[in-house]
Amino acid sequence: MSTQKMHIDRYERNWMIVSAVLLVLFASAVSVAAFGLGIQVPAPEQRVNPNTVATDPNSPWSNPGLREVAPGKYDAYILAHAIPNWEYLPKEISVPVGSSVSFYVTSPDVQHGFKIQNTNANFMVIPGQVSKLTITFDEPGTYNYICTEYCGSGHGVMYGAIIVTP
Amino acid sequence: MAKKDKEEDEFRPTGTIAVLTVFVITLIAIWATIYVILVQRGGTL
Repeated sequence: MSTQKMHIDRYERNWMIVSAVLLVLFASAVSVAAFGLGIQVPAPEQRVNPNTVATDPNSPWSNPGLREVAPGKYDAYILAHAIPNWEYLPKEISVPVGSSVSFYVTSPDVQHGFKIQNTNANFMVIPGQVSKLTITFDEPGTYNYICTEYCGSGHGVMYGAIIVTP
Repeated sequence: MAKKDKEEDEFRPTGTIAVLTVFVITLIAIWATIYVILVQRGGTL
């Protein structure tokens, strides 16, 4: 029984090797960022009733805002809504530099986005679902959060701000 | 067979290699730039 060795052109072989090395390199770098450096996309935190999430007195989003849960650690309950006037509640929060803030964001009406500029925080806000992400603000300044999912005619004016004080 | 190998050895697609080299270097540079920005912005656990 004879075996035939498959012929691969030298340049094709080299190109396949370069492509494979690049894929391994990129996959390794992404893995290091995700699991070594903690840069991850948010998972759905919990389910809520979008019809009552903004009005139920037991819902933290009926009184959205910042809660200090420990020194330097905060929970921010943010409601993104298109009705009546495309806005985030609260529109502005303030934390001292070095604070770690967990954002819990939901919507009672349509799908929105939540991107904190100059950070890696960027996720969708889906009615009936709470998106959670924790980031630490190491630099003072103003970080705007903006809607990144088209949600109606007022989408362009839907924004808020995080003020990180020195 | 030896003649065929010789012909293949002599074929060198210099232009294609140059274009692909530029492509790969550009790809790595753009990718690395975004990666550095991502890492500098910190974790989001």
